[in-house]
Amino acid sequence: MIKIENVSKEFVSPKKYPGLKGAIRGLFSTEKVVKKAVDDISFSIEKGEIVGYIGSNGAGKSTTIKMMTGILTPTKGTCMVNGLDPSKNRRKNAKNIGVVFGQRTQLWWDLPLSESFTVLKEIYDVSDENYEQRMEFLNEVLELQDFFDKPVRTLSLGQRMRADLGAALLHNPKVLFLDEPTIGLDLVVKDNMRKAIKEINEKYQTTVILTTHDIEDIEELCSRIIIIDEGKKIYDGSLQQLKETYGAKLKQTMAESQPEESKEIKLADIVKEIYKHGIV
Amino acid sequence: MKKIKRYLRLYRVFSSQFFKTIMQSKVDFLMGLLGFFLTQLSGIAFLYLVFEQIPDLKGWSLEQLMFIYGFAQIPRGIDHLFTDNIWMIAWRWVINGDFDKYMLRPMNIFFQVIAEKLQPDALGELLVGSILVILSVSKGIVIVDAWHILLFIVSIFAGALIYTSIKLFFASLAFWIKISGPFLQVAYEMADFAKYPTEIYNKAIRFLVTWVIPFAFVAYLPASFFLKETVSAGVILIECVIAVVFWCIAYAVFNKGTHSYESAGN
Amino acid sequence: MKKFVRTYLPFMANEFKRQLAYKGAFYLFIFISLFGSFISYYLWMAIYGSSKSGVIGGLNQQEMVVYIFMVYVTTSVVMVSVSNWVSDDVVKGTVAMNLIKPIDYRISLISMAMGRAVYQFLAPSIFIWIGVEVYKAVALGQPMVSVTTVIIYLCSCMMSFFIYTLFDFCFGMIAFFTTYIFGLRMAKEALLSFLTGQLIPISLFPAAVQRVFEYLPFSSMVYTPVMIYLEKYTGQELAFVLLRQAVWVVILYALGSLIWHKVTRRLVVLGG
Repeated sequence: MIKIENVSKEFVSPKKYPGLKGAIRGLFSTEKVVKKAVDDISFSIEKGEIVGYIGSNGAGKSTTIKMMTGILTPTKGTCMVNGLDPSKNRRKNAKNIGVVFGQRTQLWWDLPLSESFTVLKEIYDVSDENYEQRMEFLNEVLELQDFFDKPVRTLSLGQRMRADLGAALLHNPKVLFLDEPTIGLDLVVKDNMRKAIKEINEKYQTTVILTTHDIEDIEELCSRIIIIDEGKKIYDGSLQQLKETYGAKLKQTMAESQPEESKEIKLADIVKEIYKHGIV
Repeated sequence: MKKIKRYLRLYRVFSSQFFKTIMQSKVDFLMGLLGFFLTQLSGIAFLYLVFEQIPDLKGWSLEQLMFIYGFAQIPRGIDHLFTDNIWMIAWRWVINGDFDKYMLRPMNIFFQVIAEKLQPDALGELLVGSILVILSVSKGIVIVDAWHILLFIVSIFAGALIYTSIKLFFASLAFWIKISGPFLQVAYEMADFAKYPTEIYNKAIRFLVTWVIPFAFVAYLPASFFLKETVSAGVILIECVIAVVFWCIAYAVFNKGTHSYESAGN
Repeated sequence: MKKFVRTYLPFMANEFKRQLAYKGAFYLFIFISLFGSFISYYLWMAIYGSSKSGVIGGLNQQEMVVYIFMVYVTTSVVMVSVSNWVSDDVVKGTVAMNLIKPIDYRISLISMAMGRAVYQFLAPSIFIWIGVEVYKAVALGQPMVSVTTVIIYLCSCMMSFFIYTLFDFCFGMIAFFTTYIFGLRMAKEALLSFLTGQLIPISLFPAAVQRVFEYLPFSSMVYTPVMIYLEKYTGQELAFVLLRQAVWVVILYALGSLIWHKVTRRLVVLGG
């Protein structure tokens, strides 16, 4: 379904200098700084998988997602989604995918939610019959009907996220990209979001890639995880394996350093350890 | 053909949504209209005051200058009405990453950008422009025959396309430099030069507004064709050629820009 | 006083620094803002060329050139729009934060405006000003402006700055009542370009209109300092126009306090 081969993304920006003197100096300088956001990453994802794509802040998660969705063009390497190169076939690719960015809505701010859906129906060329079917399903799992006639700007964060997820699914995409879909949500809404994602995956065999900082998201949803650090892939495998191998290792080191405190090793501890020290 | 039909329908869907939001904020709408109306009016009042002192300006009468001024506002207003969102690319969307959402939808990006907004403020310009043109016609200083009416229509649309192209070109620079608002503003304000006969300027400025940022071909030059029998229709032809060439360049740069988009923010 | 300076100086300094940070904008805004002056310059040259008498509105051609470019210099240090900041703060909702801080919102805005004014004076107004004097000396063979005139001009500009920013603060209060201030801003700019003498010397208006302008604060913003620079006022008349400026500073200050008081009370009641 998704195939990423040796993909890198570099950002070039003008150099900045500190202070008032620096500001004046900056006026006349042409020095550049190159930042490698993603560095030679490869992986492939099969149809129907739910993959957690995790890493610390600024590790390059969003950049990778943005390359797969066609927003960014890779500096090097090839990226194929459902047999299409997103940066070359942006429009065709867009029909196959659904995207939710937790930090930013893609709905029309001033319009009632229902109108946003009407516009999306037109944009994605969804037939009336399919539209009704989809809406029925979405209402069932996301309960959109409660706030369907309210303008988007008046929705609570939880409602907005549900609406955004619904909007991303209206055209029945083959792949669903979720960039921090549960950020800032309360426990109940988080739970509902996860349930909905699971149901969609099971019912339609939708491939899901999600980035998150929430360990529970990973534990409840992902069978497989990919960890990246400073733009490089450092782990790719099943959640089970990660727990077993690194859990044991961590337990051992902890037992050595603090033998009196024997406690259960949680996934959060493992992930924290990896973010701090990398894969050992 | 099917594609065009689909885009037309989409445009209707978008703009009807937009009208709904306008209706919710009538006060804003009226104030915007007033703002642009007064801006245009101040230009006219300026001419009136000046002509108290002089009989004509380099051979142009007050009535003729009013026509040129009014004619210039029509393509400006048309462009302003339909493509105002281009400014957002230059000032905001690229730097803060809001452009993302246009990249995610299975539609032409430029279409999405312009379909999302109609700028009713532009009616202020269109109103002043139309009034001045109608007054000029009623005074009998404008040549009116089928041929001139046809070319009048061609000219205002070609002029609007020149405006759009110049805006799109400079806004697209934002994909490389993040904020291109200042550049766009420089280019856009060059249009003010062309509200008056370009003969009054020195050679360098005249060359600049005729051939580099060709606003003279949007306003003063075509307007003179409708005022003087001696001016050839070639002026309108050149205007159209410039419109097409500038559009192709601007659109190519825009397309290239979307591939260099860096999606900042987050 | 020391504490006052220590509190509000950072606003001024930050705004000055912020301006420097925008590399592209730095060069370009200078360029744009000069456009209008050049259009006026060529237009007036053509107008004088078509005119039979060499004097229009009490100014000869050379004086008009000085007028046009000194209007540029004066506006760039006088007309710093604080209402933009007010409307930004209202839209972003940061205005409530400014109410919590132990500072006077209006003074902090005017301090920022001062930072902007200093910046604009250095880049590029002072160069335009020098250019005007060089033009007078070299091209026209006229004597340069006297030191006394420069001092009086600068004092007058200082008062103009306060008249404009205090006025614009009052104008900015509209932002509390509507979200779309852009249209009104356009209207304001269009009107001010007339009323202040930016677009055309006030002496060109019909006598009746001029008399009305006497009772408005706007001609004190730009027209007065520029005419002082051109040495069009002497003795009693000079004292009068300066006094009039001072009176406007006081009136607008009081007006601003009153409106601000009303608006913040409303804000507290409604919970902005």
